[in-house]
Amino acid sequence: MAKILICDDSILARSQMRDMLSNIGDFEVFEAKNGAEAIEVYKENKPDMAFLDIVMPVKNGIDVVKEIMEFDKDAKIIMASSLGNNSNLKAALEGGAIDFIQKPVDEERLREILNKNLGGR
Amino acid sequence: MFTQFFGNYLLKKGVIDADQLLTILQNQSTVKIKLGTLAMCEGYMTASEVEKIHILQTHVDKKFGELAIEEGYLTPEQVEELCTTQRPDYLTFGQALVDGGYVTAHELEDLMIDYQSEHEIEEDDLNDTQKDSISVLVNDVYTFDEFESSSGCVNYVTLLFNNLIRFIGKDFTPLDAQILPEYATKNCTFQNIMGDLQMFTGIDMDVATSIEFASRYMGKTMDEYDEYIEASVEDFLNLHNGLFSVNMSNDVGIELDLEPLGHVVDSIISLDSIVFYIPVIFPFGTVNFLLSPNIFKG
Repeated sequence: MAKILICDDSILARSQMRDMLSNIGDFEVFEAKNGAEAIEVYKENKPDMAFLDIVMPVKNGIDVVKEIMEFDKDAKIIMASSLGNNSNLKAALEGGAIDFIQKPVDEERLREILNKNLGGR
Repeated sequence: MFTQFFGNYLLKKGVIDADQLLTILQNQSTVKIKLGTLAMCEGYMTASEVEKIHILQTHVDKKFGELAIEEGYLTPEQVEELCTTQRPDYLTFGQALVDGGYVTAHELEDLMIDYQSEHEIEEDDLNDTQKDSISVLVNDVYTFDEFESSSGCVNYVTLLFNNLIRFIGKDFTPLDAQILPEYATKNCTFQNIMGDLQMFTGIDMDVATSIEFASRYMGKTMDEYDEYIEASVEDFLNLHNGLFSVNMSNDVGIELDLEPLGHVVDSIISLDSIVFYIPVIFPFGTVNFLLSPNIFKG
């Protein structure tokens, strides 16, 4: 069972993503509500894929990408970007994130990202 | 959007007070638009002719359309057209005004004409959601002299009203803005917009109003205030600000960034400049939208 980390300061965004993941397949889902927590949860659980919000309190998504990439150079990080964060999104992708998904998240787009990056897992 | 501002216009004219406005907004969903009001709005009949048919209806057991045809005011084709045409929103509001006894059909007709002429609204605009014509109306009602970019603020507020219609509902009336040196919050979600057009933005309302606002936004009934309600209001503000940022980038090449959302309860927002807020009355409560040229750190 693939392990997925969802990091977003909004409980609503986390629960919507969790619901969509359960519609798509069987995943072990971990949640974090800020950047610092995301790094901690990532190191502890080494998820197969991490969805990171860009704008977060404590530590923003761009810094989190860099720290996770230092810890795990093969990390599969997807940025979850709200409208209006294009400059930050660019920085996150340059920092090592492999793709992005626009918020509010579309289930079909989420499915596409999972299929593309996790294959049959 | 013209419907929403028509309520504001009536308040300013002293035709109705705030309590009456709330009652009208609450009754609006149950209002059935009468054929006579539709005929008047289409210019097929005058208020006097409509009134005459209403009187006739007290003498004979016939439908409005039948009598209007008999009296030569309407053709059968016009009656058919009126029965099948989609009802413009401002008519529902107008009918609720008449049904509530706040104005007569005659007075409504005059008020509509005055309102259109004061704001130079064309007949076609009444059913229109053209961005430019709404911007003109927002510009008429609100002034943003304290802000670096007045046109940016007009765009922001125009988009806000459109997003309220899109995500919350069209049964609201925006009141005139209040400008204060500081603002006492109830339950306030805020976000600073950074970049070429720096602004503090916020939404403030009481707990009961937040629950209904979030329920409408999420499209499901939520009964108790919890973190999901708070997150829903945050999501609305973040989405609105995001759309605004994209528009500013696409339309005028101004690049903006959004800071993380914040939340304060029963606090004083005191900035080095003014706090500009627009109270928006919904049937379920009043939502205050805040703007300031200076950012707020909470």
